[in-house]
Amino acid sequence: MSTTRHLINRQRRRQARGTRPATAGPESAGGRLRAGAAAVPAPPDPPAGNGTRDRKPAASRTLREPAAARGARTRRPVVLVALCALTVFLGGFAGWAHAEAEALRDEPARRNTALTDLARTSEIKGRTAEAVDRLFSYDHTDPGALDKAARDLLTGKAVEQHRTLLADVRERADAQKAVITTAVTESAVERIDGARARVLVYADQSSVTTAGARTAGGKAAGQDAGVYAGALLAVDVVHRDGRWLVSGIDTFGR
Amino acid sequence: MKRAVRALTARRPRALSSLLVALGLTAGGLAAWAGQDWYAAAHDGTAAYAEQRDRALAAGEQAVLNLNTLDHRDVDQGLDLWESSTTGELHEQLSAGRDEFADQVREAKTVTTARVLSGAVTELDDRAGRARVLVALRVTVKAADGAGTDKDSRMLGELTRTGGRWKLSALGQAPVGGAPTG
Repeated sequence: MSTTRHLINRQRRRQARGTRPATAGPESAGGRLRAGAAAVPAPPDPPAGNGTRDRKPAASRTLREPAAARGARTRRPVVLVALCALTVFLGGFAGWAHAEAEALRDEPARRNTALTDLARTSEIKGRTAEAVDRLFSYDHTDPGALDKAARDLLTGKAVEQHRTLLADVRERADAQKAVITTAVTESAVERIDGARARVLVYADQSSVTTAGARTAGGKAAGQDAGVYAGALLAVDVVHRDGRWLVSGIDTFGR
Repeated sequence: MKRAVRALTARRPRALSSLLVALGLTAGGLAAWAGQDWYAAAHDGTAAYAEQRDRALAAGEQAVLNLNTLDHRDVDQGLDLWESSTTGELHEQLSAGRDEFADQVREAKTVTTARVLSGAVTELDDRAGRARVLVALRVTVKAADGAGTDKDSRMLGELTRTGGRWKLSALGQAPVGGAPTG
């Protein structure tokens, strides 16, 4: 019973509150334009953020303080947004500049350190020349030396390439009792990419036969027939365990 | 109650702004580091040297290729290319013997083409503008009767930079057996 009356009362109160802003609505809207006029009705619960400027002159000290804080609070978001934007901009620039620097360092010209790293270049040249001298020289009286050179200096597919290239030469040298000597005359490093490099090699090959040079010379074709022949090859080398090993031999299809 | 809420909301922006300041400073530091890193990468002396090396090689290979290409039906254009690829003494030699050589080629009716097998720079003096290159070529000479012969050429070239361009100033075959040939 009391609850129903209570409810009716609440409904009435709500209705009354509902109608009041409706009638006061246009007036307060106009009041915002006519300074000071809207402050007169002074509603019990003023809508938030409405008419702060109008109430300022009449406001007590307790009201003025939050107003100042509110001013600082409206300024702060602007600063924060600017800071956010600056952060994003700087971060973006950092990322972009880093990408640019990496792209520059990753250029093929820079990755290749042939000649730019002189010490490494001459080391590779020297080691490759030694390797080629040993790998392409053969003395029929000491066939083990070539096998040892192959074991020491070759790796990967170069093992098979070397065997194929030398098989014929070896057989012929054994038959002719020949000594084949290879000496690198010119070499240049085409490319060094970390632990890998490619070297262009010009070499002289001389073949000295100790017996039956005339008869065997007839069947020998190409460069092995002459006393001296110029050889051309490109050698891939790889740095492994502190040594440069031959990993590929390119004879340009010859 | 109201005061507590206000204090809470006031503390939160402060924490937020100090976080943002920290982020901003970090971003600024990163930007400064990345910027100078980028500058260093762009003004790296080694990179400029590497670029000259690659330019010298490209020019050297092209010039050697040009000097091993000649068609008897178009001798003049071919020899113009020879002269534009060279400088210094080599250039003088070529232009001095040009007419005689052109007659020989027209008479022999040969067509010479070449393909670069491989090339590399052995020496590069960036300041003086001089370089030495090895260029390995496969030269094909087609005679008047259509028969062609292939021969590998082991060339040694010297390049000189003139007006920002690398040109051949000397060219020869690598000597065999200690005696220079061809």
